Amino acid sequence: MAETTPAVEIRDLVKDFKTSFRRQPLRAVDGVSIRIMPGEVYGLIGPNGSGKSTTMKALLGLVAPTSGNCSIFGKDSMKVDSRQDVGFLPENPYFYKHLTGTETLRFYGKLCGLGGKALEERVSELLALVDLEGARDRRIGGYSKGMLQRIGLAQALVQEPRLVILDEPTAGVDPIGSRQIRDLIFKLRERGITVFLCSHLLEQVQEVCDKVGIIFRGKMVREGQLEDLIAIEDQTEIILKDASPELIAQITALAEQHQGASIVRTGKPRTTLERLFLRETLGNDDS
Amino acid sequence: MTSPAVKSTDSHVLRILVIARHAFTQLVRMKVFYFLAVFAVIAIASNFFDLPQHEVPESIGVSVLRSIKSWSLGTMTLFSVVLSVVATALLLPKDVEDRTLYTILAKPVPRFDYLAGKLLGVLLLIFVSLALMDGLMTLVLQIRTSVVLQQQLAMGQQLGWGAAEIARLKSETLAQGPTWSLQAGVLAVFIRSSIIASLALLISTFSTSTLFTTIISFLVYFIGHFQADARDAFLQSETGGQGIGARIFTLLTSLVLPDFSLFNVIDSVIEGQIFPLVMLEKLMALGLFYAVLYTVCSWFIFAKKEF
Repeated sequence: MAETTPAVEIRDLVKDFKTSFRRQPLRAVDGVSIRIMPGEVYGLIGPNGSGKSTTMKALLGLVAPTSGNCSIFGKDSMKVDSRQDVGFLPENPYFYKHLTGTETLRFYGKLCGLGGKALEERVSELLALVDLEGARDRRIGGYSKGMLQRIGLAQALVQEPRLVILDEPTAGVDPIGSRQIRDLIFKLRERGITVFLCSHLLEQVQEVCDKVGIIFRGKMVREGQLEDLIAIEDQTEIILKDASPELIAQITALAEQHQGASIVRTGKPRTTLERLFLRETLGNDDS
Repeated sequence: MTSPAVKSTDSHVLRILVIARHAFTQLVRMKVFYFLAVFAVIAIASNFFDLPQHEVPESIGVSVLRSIKSWSLGTMTLFSVVLSVVATALLLPKDVEDRTLYTILAKPVPRFDYLAGKLLGVLLLIFVSLALMDGLMTLVLQIRTSVVLQQQLAMGQQLGWGAAEIARLKSETLAQGPTWSLQAGVLAVFIRSSIIASLALLISTFSTSTLFTTIISFLVYFIGHFQADARDAFLQSETGGQGIGARIFTLLTSLVLPDFSLFNVIDSVIEGQIFPLVMLEKLMALGLFYAVLYTVCSWFIFAKKEF
């Protein structure tokens, strides 16, 4: 039976910050409401300073809402027990440089009440998941940006949360690292884990998200299922493989016979620069 | 994926210990224990600070024993005070700057557990450091005391002293060596640094930088030495003509700060006097009270803090 309690419920969230030199407080988030059901991948997009990170921090209890409220699986997010089911990867995280990858995951696991053999197994499993087995005993201080993001994702998953919150998960990461993180998000979705991510990399959000919200100057300006939002309702796309010029000519003629219908464009679909880069560097044809 | 890892019962104590152990490891890996090498040099070098003295059995080598204790306890005080302020002032702002605090507080970790764990980690480091320094001091002092004692007894026998006089001499010299009072003195050093560390923790919860926390903590520590004077000034102001501002300042100083001058009892231990048990109990109660008071105040501020 499908779970009916929303994984995330943000209702009319308003967050004002006091400013030192201005009398008017700065309104970072202005009446934002978001509802994410279990298993969904939700992308919150918006330009820098639009209130994405503040919304996430409010959801994690790192900032207190000025008004409105947030809950995680029905639990008030200002309460500590709501975080039992959450994993969080902040933007540009720096973990303790003196710890190795294994020690880092062990530390976060213990904070979540894990221990003994179960914790050791979980640590090995996560290191394998994020492809850091080779760097497990290396200190975090020597990790690259992409490796930091991946160990960050592993720590977010350490207690097997039902919700993962990712703040700009691919910020500053090269295309290969970015693709690895994208693949990890796909794996999370396959396992039914709810993902709430914010980013200003629109193409990536489009690739992984089921539902999208667009936030601008603290306000939610558009929200809905990704397919609904980006579909051009009065157009239909047919992609053919190995079609001869004659077949294309026939289809074009057939379309023109129908009143009201017209061919908008024909030509070869293009790959993205990211896919081209990955194919040339990793030989990854199916990317 | 394997089956979900077993989630054990939430335990504040266990979580505090995890954070404390981590803070301890973090500080150790910052090479804090290198200071122990400096201490070893000081403890050994203090053996050579022998002042000119009258050639009578009672005074032979006694100044060296005092010198060892004085230098050792002085270095312990310096190390523990500096470490308790700097380490505590460093840990919190660093976690905020590096955003590691976000990842910790995003786990089911109450803010009190985080604060208490950090403080405990610093105190653990100070305790281990002091224990190691104490062990080294005691060893050096033990060796030197037996050498001094042999010299004194040889001279006493040359001068034809009786058994009673020699026993008194032995007793007086042993009082300058490694005694339980000396260990109590080291414990007092630890208690004082516990108060300072919890004070630095309190300041770091509302301060914006490590430098600010460090300066204010040292300043408060300095002012704390005059707490008794402030208290007396406030009590006398009932009859004297003191301004309202001065009265408030003296009242606040005497209420908020511990009387650090009570720890001057450590100086008497260096002189070979007995550390009264009542005094030790009083210092322990004082330390516990202020450490708890400052930690609870830190929690109140930290619980409301936004990141």
